[in-house]
Amino acid sequence: MRRGARLAAVTLAAILAAPLLSARAEQPAPDGWRPFKATWTLSGTRQLLPTEGARSAAIVHVTGPLAITSGEGLGRGFLGEVIFFDDGGALLVARGVLTDERGDQIYCAMKAEPIGAGRKATGTITGGTGRHAGLEGTFTFSWQYVVAPESGEISGRIANIEGRTRTASSPGRAVPR
Amino acid sequence: MTPGMKALVSQVGVFALGAAIWFWPVPEGLTAPAWHLFAIFAATIASVIAGAFPILTASVLAVAVAVLSGVLTPAKAYAGFANGTILLIVVAFLVARAIVKCGLGQRLGHLVVSLFGKSTLGLGYSVFLVDAVIAPAFPSDTARSGVLYPLVLSLAEGGGSKPDDATRKRMGAYLMFCGMATLSLSSAIWLTAMAGNPLGAEVGKSMGFNVSFGSWLLASLLPTLLCLAGLPLLIYKVFPPEVKATPEAPAAARKALTAMGPLSLHEKIVSVTFVVMVLLWAFAGTLKLDLTAVAFLGLGVLLASGVLTLKDIGQQGDVLGTFIWFAILFAISGQLNAMGFMGYLGQRLGGALGGLPWLAAYAVLVVAYVVLHYLFVSQTAHVLALFGVFLGVGAQLGVPVPLLGFALLFSTSYFSTITPQSSSANLLVVGSGYLTQGELYRLGTITTLFNVLVLLLVGTPWILFITR
Repeated sequence: MRRGARLAAVTLAAILAAPLLSARAEQPAPDGWRPFKATWTLSGTRQLLPTEGARSAAIVHVTGPLAITSGEGLGRGFLGEVIFFDDGGALLVARGVLTDERGDQIYCAMKAEPIGAGRKATGTITGGTGRHAGLEGTFTFSWQYVVAPESGEISGRIANIEGRTRTASSPGRAVPR
Repeated sequence: MTPGMKALVSQVGVFALGAAIWFWPVPEGLTAPAWHLFAIFAATIASVIAGAFPILTASVLAVAVAVLSGVLTPAKAYAGFANGTILLIVVAFLVARAIVKCGLGQRLGHLVVSLFGKSTLGLGYSVFLVDAVIAPAFPSDTARSGVLYPLVLSLAEGGGSKPDDATRKRMGAYLMFCGMATLSLSSAIWLTAMAGNPLGAEVGKSMGFNVSFGSWLLASLLPTLLCLAGLPLLIYKVFPPEVKATPEAPAAARKALTAMGPLSLHEKIVSVTFVVMVLLWAFAGTLKLDLTAVAFLGLGVLLASGVLTLKDIGQQGDVLGTFIWFAILFAISGQLNAMGFMGYLGQRLGGALGGLPWLAAYAVLVVAYVVLHYLFVSQTAHVLALFGVFLGVGAQLGVPVPLLGFALLFSTSYFSTITPQSSSANLLVVGSGYLTQGELYRLGTITTLFNVLVLLLVGTPWILFITR
């Protein structure tokens, strides 16, 4: 019993103490933009409402870890929380908040295709708090997979978030929307 | 050191561990609530392993700290008490009691003993075989445990073993653990034998891991049948029953069956109720039925027909204790996952494996995937949190996707005994009173090690061969 528990404890400690994610340093462009890449695993709930069309309207509330795999200035990762609203037609909008280990947050807004494997989305970073105050940026991603384990639940992963950020004080033009 | 002093030292040590993690700087990429909840969860599990507190005491203290410190809201902390799977276990406990009380369990026990009862080892194998055969029809291993438990309980009681007393180790404790370990194999043999299997297959599709009922069975057959052949014997060796050979038992059982005569009215009611429950559980997916509602229906019939009385229900004190501690750990582990802790660990591990040869990366990923189950109380939650992450990391490192996909999904069943709380399907056995927490952790670790070793050493070349 103790040997197994020790093995578990050592493995957990090794994972926690493992070298930090291989986030590579990226030099900011002259206009202050810094590119980044990330992955995001999300799970949560989905409430459906029938519509006159083929698709239901939905409110999706998901949370999960966002890991920065490449890029500077954003730290190593966040807990991400998103609420999507899908009107069952052409509109799917979302608001998200990313929280880091200090409790500092980044806010973003997204427009997306209906949630599903391969479906795409674009996002805009609309601000932040603490060390992320004044942050702006854009990003794109597509869902690698989405599954619904039980009625009312949803789980998915995004493996290809790509975007760029800069703080408002950086030189250069305004954020493209 | 006196036992009292030893317990006090353990308790102080566990509180110190929890406090040390709590006040340790929050790792980059996690949030403070997730880290603090991990401190509470780690201290809870450590306290059970170190013998500082029983699991019920540790869980109750954990939920109190989690809510009073503001780490969890009351709604999230108590969500497990309304979870359907946990309620299913509670109801299955009571239905099993009806099967034993009316005499049907004794009759079933005599029947099995008359066929396989020359030795306790033979009875152990019979439990594994019955489970392996019925498994493809049950998409829930928790529901399947509700079918197996009355049989194993009847065999244990028929063998003169009673829970929570000196006779429990005659053969009851061994058979009970067989009843738990068998689920770790039967769930791996068939794609449809555990809810997490088809979910994992769905997740894997996006990475080129395409699985059918047949390809799953082919891949699982060799490693799982080897485990099935070896595990009852291994448990028998490391946890021997006091009664081993019973050469006269089959004849005695046949005589007892004759003496019991035809089925009584209560036995008939329980038989019909149980068969209907089993059929509804088996076809629940097709008929879109809720498993827990089926269990409640069965319990309702047994109460309405007078087979079970309110007094019987009141005497099942162990059920309440099991319900409380599992509901608490289920909620805490679920929230740890929702706060991103599990996914964070998986992603962080993936980032640290760059540069490893694919075979080494494969072994590390499988072992880490298994060990991380110490933090989960649900196999399905484990699949959803880590399977996609680990498969993606492995694919990037050059591990053949079908190999890693099958290995991780088989492991999801193989590790189901690693802790008593690691699967809701364990709970009937855990709450039976035949096994101590220490025995459950020790045997669970041995079982998991054996299964995973067979997977790595035999399953790996086999899966590579059939998927080449």
